[in-house]
Amino acid sequence: MSGVTGPAAANSSMNRRALAALFVRLGAFAAIGIILLYFAIYARGFTSSYNLQNVVEQSVILTMLAYGMTVVFIGTGTDVQQGGVDLSVAANAGLAGAVFVTLLNLGLPEPLAILAAIFSGMAMGLLNGIAVVLFRIIPLLATLAVMNIATGLELTITGNNVVGASSEFLTMLQFGRFLGISALAWVLIVFTIFVTILVHYSPFGVRLYAVGGFPEAARAAGLNVGFNIYFSYIFSGLCAGIAAVLIVSRLSASTLGTGLHLLPVLAAALLGTVFSRRFVPTIGGTLIASLFVGFLANGFQLLGISSYWVSGVQGALILLVVALTSFAKPAEGG
Amino acid sequence: MSDVAIDMRGISKQFGPVKALDNVDLQVRKGSIHGLVGANGAGKSTIIKVLAGIYKHDSGNVCVGDKTLDVIAPASIEKDGVHFIHQDRLLVPTATVAEAVFLNNEPRRGFLLDIKRMRKEASDLIKKHFNLDIDANALIRDLSAAQQKIVQITRALACNARVLVLDEPTAALVAAEVSSLFRVLRALRDENIAIIFISHYMQEIMEICDDVTILRNGRNAGNVVASDSSIEEIVSLMVNRDTSEMYPRREARIDEPVLELKDASRTGHFEGVNLTLHKGEVLGLTGLLGSGDKQLLKCIFGLDQPDSGTIALNGGAVKFKAPGEAVDAGIAMIPEDRRAHGVAVDLSVSDNISIASTARHAIRGFVNKIFEAKLVDGLIEELGVKTPDRFLPVKNLSGGNQQKVVVAKWLSCDSSVYLLDDPTVAVDVGAKVEIYNLMNRLAGEGKAILFVSSDLEETVEMCDRILVIYRGKIVGEYKRGEINSDRLLAVASGGAPSGLREVS
Amino acid sequence: MDNVKKSIISLEALSNYIVLFAFAAIVVIFSVTTDNFLSLENLYNVVANKVVLLAIVSLGMTIVIAAGGIDLSVGVSVDISGLTFFSLLAAGYSAVLGVGAGLVAALLVGLFNAFLINKLKIDAFLATLGVLFIGSSVQRLATNGGTPITLTTEEYSPIFRAISDSQLFGLPSPVWILVGCSIAVYLLLHKMVFGRFVAVLGAKPGVALYSGVRVPRELSKVFVYCALLCGIAGILLSSQVKSYIPLSGDAFLLDAIGATFIGTALTKDRRPTVIGTLMGVFLLAIMRNGLLLIGWNFFWQQVGIGVLVFVVLALSFGLRRREE
Repeated sequence: MSGVTGPAAANSSMNRRALAALFVRLGAFAAIGIILLYFAIYARGFTSSYNLQNVVEQSVILTMLAYGMTVVFIGTGTDVQQGGVDLSVAANAGLAGAVFVTLLNLGLPEPLAILAAIFSGMAMGLLNGIAVVLFRIIPLLATLAVMNIATGLELTITGNNVVGASSEFLTMLQFGRFLGISALAWVLIVFTIFVTILVHYSPFGVRLYAVGGFPEAARAAGLNVGFNIYFSYIFSGLCAGIAAVLIVSRLSASTLGTGLHLLPVLAAALLGTVFSRRFVPTIGGTLIASLFVGFLANGFQLLGISSYWVSGVQGALILLVVALTSFAKPAEGG
Repeated sequence: MSDVAIDMRGISKQFGPVKALDNVDLQVRKGSIHGLVGANGAGKSTIIKVLAGIYKHDSGNVCVGDKTLDVIAPASIEKDGVHFIHQDRLLVPTATVAEAVFLNNEPRRGFLLDIKRMRKEASDLIKKHFNLDIDANALIRDLSAAQQKIVQITRALACNARVLVLDEPTAALVAAEVSSLFRVLRALRDENIAIIFISHYMQEIMEICDDVTILRNGRNAGNVVASDSSIEEIVSLMVNRDTSEMYPRREARIDEPVLELKDASRTGHFEGVNLTLHKGEVLGLTGLLGSGDKQLLKCIFGLDQPDSGTIALNGGAVKFKAPGEAVDAGIAMIPEDRRAHGVAVDLSVSDNISIASTARHAIRGFVNKIFEAKLVDGLIEELGVKTPDRFLPVKNLSGGNQQKVVVAKWLSCDSSVYLLDDPTVAVDVGAKVEIYNLMNRLAGEGKAILFVSSDLEETVEMCDRILVIYRGKIVGEYKRGEINSDRLLAVASGGAPSGLREVS
Repeated sequence: MDNVKKSIISLEALSNYIVLFAFAAIVVIFSVTTDNFLSLENLYNVVANKVVLLAIVSLGMTIVIAAGGIDLSVGVSVDISGLTFFSLLAAGYSAVLGVGAGLVAALLVGLFNAFLINKLKIDAFLATLGVLFIGSSVQRLATNGGTPITLTTEEYSPIFRAISDSQLFGLPSPVWILVGCSIAVYLLLHKMVFGRFVAVLGAKPGVALYSGVRVPRELSKVFVYCALLCGIAGILLSSQVKSYIPLSGDAFLLDAIGATFIGTALTKDRRPTVIGTLMGVFLLAIMRNGLLLIGWNFFWQQVGIGVLVFVVLALSFGLRRREE
């Protein structure tokens, strides 16, 4: 009576799987290490503190949006076709930025304008939640429709123009430094800590993962699945709102085409899954992935490789990661 | 404080025209293990789902302890102390053991999750109740079926369950694990926890239960005290029939061999399997969950490939790389999971029946609709599929009729070898009889049938010959009448030497 | 209790006609509020200029979605085909060769998708997402970062006239190409064995496998047909604008998905059909046209279309009976 051991078959295949998973994960870290090392040796100026800071700053916005996408993946599952995805996150940021700048230029106090931007992002998130939970539209479509609405509203508000904005706070965000680290980077650090605690170190996070991982099991355990899905989308909207303020501060203007961030955001959130033992989206994994995407572009630039390669390499990476993880994952129903 | 933990009275539940529950009572005492038995479709799982709040009952009263529950919600029933260990292991595959044990009941330190305590307590609970060491950090998807079951029970214990409902908890377990589970259940009973125990295995019911409620066709068929009763009495209450009526007989005319497996092996699933299936024969293949029986069917059907050994069809060696090739060679599969693999419920009866054969009757890639209409209508009539016309979506048919659609699909392409993977699972008694008749008819027409079933009684009654598979190896072979279901279970569990003809 | 049930059922029945209602409402509203919405000239303008390309791409998307997948790389097929076509023309090859090569290039995109899905077991969404990324790189590299290829020489004009500017029985030839594509896809999906396989793959892939359908082969066909239709659209697009503009095909992606799913609201079990998709495309087009005629600018049109799609989807999905 010393131990429950399933049929020997189950154990050996389990070990094989765990081993394969370990190899994939270590391989991913090793690949990143080798690529960064290559850049460090051959790309002049890659390791300069100025360059590193610059890359981090450039990656802040992508990372913030990718956090939103990550939380949606966590709370609604990574089966993009049937489960959840938030295609509207980048467009929401664009809209929130337009709201922010417009209100600022109308003379609204800055804190209120910031709140309005964040509120705009969360409202769009709520709309996603309503579409998915209440109307039961598949998330891919629901967030696509919301994305179109957000893009349209952004264009309407800005009249398809770049609208400039400046304020002390924005200047501070753009140029401020504390302990040698830029304000933008600080925002990322603080927000990362906050999301990490929420998702990985709180009871709430465990439940969110359960809802996304297997909704029936979560429901059987008495969890409110709908609430968690609402939360995921609204949180994603919050990320979009904060990202919008950062975009405006970096560029001193609301810019069009924020929606174009969507694909890199998806890439970062998906690539991030390879760094987790369970092959699930994690905050740490997303952070590594989006920084890596940033360093990749930067390294290419320094090496004089055409930036036209960047999106192709991202695409190839997505395919590689997904193919590898699907082989390391247990077979369906197995 | 009353002595009753669960008091359900006069529960009725109707699905469309079907009365799934008709005025059913169920009382469970605190500190007792209460068996709930009945044939498939008798209403066991329906009444459990009513208690779980998954189905809303049409009439009747549900009391938990002293509290009458007017509305039962899945989200709140656990707060009333009732926990369910579902048959399908409802656990998040990517969670760790610790997370699964404490889901929705996580230990906190302030607002934060106390991960250390969670891991330690999960390990401790499993150690205390089951005397097992399962790594609290292991992922659910990497655990064996038995380990997952244990995690589920541990979760209920961690939530201080007052009532524990176990739906077929031993289905995936081997003998040692079963006795370990029983020890835990007895210990829980002594802590005044009420346990509802649902099982097909009568020996287990007699061994562990104090009281037994028997359901039949959605009604109460009796309540007995286990120690004063016998398996025979319970079974006779469960089924209102003569065995001969339930299992139609047939004159077997066994012809030349069609399908032959020689020394077939698939690492981790089965090894050294020799098997010969003849025309006109119903050959049973039986084993416990995970014994390799289902994997063997998959290999014959081309869903998987054996690592070594040969498969011969009508004397010629075959190697199917995909089911399509097996189908072309005349092999038919009636899968266990009808809704996932058997019928596409959103499509029409006609589309489902013709899918396997439509390419053969096509004219330059176009569906031959005239021919198809004739073929499909003919099969609907021949098999007695109850449908107003062939255009009705299959989801509007009963389980038994859906199964007939699957059979019709294979008849439409004139298959000669039929692989039946638990075809009577989750269909009502009437439909079962129809499926048995279909099997007999196919065999009577000279088709060869390989029949895998988890229902040992039907295996014993329906098969001309039975092979028993245990941990991937054939351990016994019996002709019709040489073995009863109790002995079959013993051989399949590897517990008893088969005594009769052993296959070396 | 019975009353409630009845009203739900009738609401559900209602939801099957949502697209028709939306269609009727839009036509009525715009006919009343504008002068020339219903004029033949305007309708001709809508069909000839706005509908054709999107409709052809949407037909391809319809095949894929009917088979339970999705193709995010339709834009890549459109562009790669246009790129190949124009590159060959620019290099002095004949138009026939250019068109043929353009279609072959699109076909290769479809085959690559199929390879990723069948051999590497990647979800259709993620596989085609990867191809979308790679495709944009390829185009940037091929065009030095996105420089359009324009052919101004007079001698090329006969090609364009033949492909896009000519008329047949009073309608521009692209419309006839659309008619041809629609009939072809209609036959494929609704009359041929392939369509049966697609329907089963879309409804329950497991049943297809267990019924002996060669799933990988059929899935390959699905993605190749889709890519070919996009290739046709790509050649038409570049002929119409008389230049190849890199990444211009991406604009079709969202509308094609939207149109296909709006079309699914036409059938009771929400399956994509050729008629439904064409309705969806037409609905989007007349909505945009109507908003334009009543004086909304392009940006408000975007919002209006977004809201329309949202409402149609919400009604179509939300009114469906909940499964127990």
